[in-house]
Amino acid sequence: MVKELVQQAIDQGIPAQDILEQGLLSGMGMIGEKFKNNEVYVPEVLVAARAMNMGTALLKPLIAEAGIESVGKVCIGTVQGDLHDIGKNLVKMMMEGKGLEVIDLGTDVPPEKFVEAVVENGCQIICCSALLTTTMGVMEEVVKAVEAAGLRDKVKVMVGGAPVTDAYCQQIGADKYTADAASAADAAVELCRELAG
Amino acid sequence: MKTEGVEVVLNGTCHLVDRGTRISRLLTPSHGVSMICGGKGVCRKCRVRAWGELSPLTDREKECFTKEEQQAGYRLACCTTVEGPCRILTDSPGHSRICAEGVMPDFRWDPCFTDYGAAIDVGTTTLALHLYDRCSLRAEVAAPNPQSVFGGDVISRITQSLEGKGAELSTCIRQALSSLLTEGAVKAGIPVTAIDSMVITGNTTMLYLLTGRDVRCLSQAPFEADHLFGETLTAEELELPCRASVYLTPCISAFVGGDITTALLASGIYQSEHTAMLADIGTNGEIALFHNGELLCCATAAGPAFEGAGLSMGMTGMTGAIDRLTVEGRRLRCHVIDEAAPIGICGSGIVDAIACLLKLEQLDETGRLMEDPVVLDGEVRLTGQDVRMIQLAKGAIRAGMETLLHYARISAEDLQELAIAGGFGRYIDVGNAAAIGLIPTVSADRVRVLGNAALVGADMILLDKRAALQASAIAAQTRTVELSGDPVFRDQYVENMGFWNDENG
Ligand code: B12
Repeated sequence: MVKELVQQAIDQGIPAQDILEQGLLSGMGMIGEKFKNNEVYVPEVLVAARAMNMGTALLKPLIAEAGIESVGKVCIGTVQGDLHDIGKNLVKMMMEGKGLEVIDLGTDVPPEKFVEAVVENGCQIICCSALLTTTMGVMEEVVKAVEAAGLRDKVKVMVGGAPVTDAYCQQIGADKYTADAASAADAAVELCRELAG
Repeated sequence: MKTEGVEVVLNGTCHLVDRGTRISRLLTPSHGVSMICGGKGVCRKCRVRAWGELSPLTDREKECFTKEEQQAGYRLACCTTVEGPCRILTDSPGHSRICAEGVMPDFRWDPCFTDYGAAIDVGTTTLALHLYDRCSLRAEVAAPNPQSVFGGDVISRITQSLEGKGAELSTCIRQALSSLLTEGAVKAGIPVTAIDSMVITGNTTMLYLLTGRDVRCLSQAPFEADHLFGETLTAEELELPCRASVYLTPCISAFVGGDITTALLASGIYQSEHTAMLADIGTNGEIALFHNGELLCCATAAGPAFEGAGLSMGMTGMTGAIDRLTVEGRRLRCHVIDEAAPIGICGSGIVDAIACLLKLEQLDETGRLMEDPVVLDGEVRLTGQDVRMIQLAKGAIRAGMETLLHYARISAEDLQELAIAGGFGRYIDVGNAAAIGLIPTVSADRVRVLGNAALVGADMILLDKRAALQASAIAAQTRTVELSGDPVFRDQYVENMGFWNDENG
């Protein structure tokens, strides 16, 4: 369905950038708002994200051709010792829905891996997800690893997951916490803008 | 049912039954009559009142009831048979905060103690004890697990233990068990030192904390327990106030503990001919499936929503909790425990509330409330966020069931039995649980509510010398399906987060 519509739009000569922003991303933005307000939930967001991904797959080559830059680059993962990934996947989708390029490191990600991903891909933001009170502590190690690698002023660290709080974020010296995936995406765009400006 | 049967009026409803039928066979779990000893006439818990043509009073019953009680028609359901037309009344099921009761299958009575034995279930939230002499149940005691001050769920306690509070946690539970034993002994009118044998069951974490083992292996992926118990210690080693031997039940894996082993033992599903599932619907949400001689299990980490925790007005099933909801006309009707003013809602009420709100179309299948929050009764409300928490919990439990069915290559229709264990399971409305998709839709006669099956299984180990071997065999033979990273579980989870049930697609 979405695929056909996107193809139609391409065939009509609408610029890829416009299809993406006014078609797909704005749709995802609406879903994000509804998610924030508790009007839709995880399954609906996943369906929407799947649809969006089908559309973006068609647009990717065109956008690359046109040499349009992404809003920013992010790497995301569930921290070492933790295998919960549903929340992390939602954050990833919402961020993609805001036009960010997201590198997914998967689950059980040790601190060094986050740092490596930043070095290799030039990410502006590291996103850590933790769902267990026993693995939350790894987030602090990520912050320390970033410091140790001398990258602290170049990348921002975002943290989240059910047991994480704003106070905890500040306590471990991370940069940003949000409670839900849609706000996480907004915050990430904001942080990228700050870093650029 | 045969037409030439005799007429029995059970709680006002007429049944035709064969002459010679035992009253206990006419009772279902909804009657709230417990048969701890499985109909052996030893536990004396299955009191009912009956009048009419019945078998004569047995010696057990004469011992058990006073003259006045006998005149009032009191009988033990497991000792009395129907000989002609009669009337039976069960007392309305009382609500206890902590469920220490359960249904026991048939087994051989051959206790492993000399004078007195105790079976204990160390639950994350509650502790329960049964004390027996060579003939019958002598005392029943329950109490909250005082470790709760260290955190409500197992992971929080593990965290505390890793932060240097391990010794405190084990002292805490040992003292609690000591008081429980003492209380039981007082009730039974014996000195606590007369207890010579004990069986303690509990989840893997509880047994680790009780024995003071290092819990590090339970704290992080890959979550592999380095010890699975199924061994006998002495009461002294555990600082318990008697000289008993203490058998700790065998665990299956890090998150499928000895309590599930004993629940399986009590359910008997592993030795039946048919395909059956056992679900313990609590914070950890353990599920086991028996099919083709194989036992599969998993732990779904549902969270405490069905125990009332984490919801804006959730509470345990005590006075003031809404425990039942029905739709009357186009409106909700709430029942409150002890007919008190409503102050919150407990697990069984939550299941009913969702089912009723769906029926009234005040909640749609995606979990969106038309009006947020919605008032249930008086000041008690349910918020949109509450519904989301319930979706997370119920989705996880159902997805666990579907994942096991998937790996056994069968579907819910193939289940000949669905046994529900745990304190919460005891009070839920099975029809509503299916309506919200918490359990698959299976016909009501295939659902069996077991109550505290973990404790009943521990009783069986205490009362039948051979049962410990059976428990070890169950634990050894059960294969745990690890749900982390499992793509089937993840898909099922998302699919089952909404309130689509098997009927509405
Ligand atoms: C589903 C689930 C599982 C599944 C995971 C499947 C999967 N592929 O992810 C399974 C069954 C495998 C599982 C296993 C375990 N689980 Co679990 N699990 C849950 C459950 C039910 C829901 C979690 C979830 O997916 N939520 C939905 C998502 C969308 O929410 P979320 O992750 O919070 O994400 C949102 C926000 O937090 C935010 N966010 C998330 N990440 C990030 C990152 C950033 C940077 C930002 C800004 C925001 C952000 O955005 C998201 C969307 O808005 C919870 C209980 C509950 N009801 O919440 C327990 C729970 C998290 N699990 C728990 C436990 C104990 C375990 C186990 C240790 C035990 C067990 N029984 O098996 C294992 C450990 C596995 C491991 N190694 O990690 C406990 C943790 C307790 C504690 N004190 O820490 C919980 C709370 C249940 C409980 N009370 O007992 N679990």
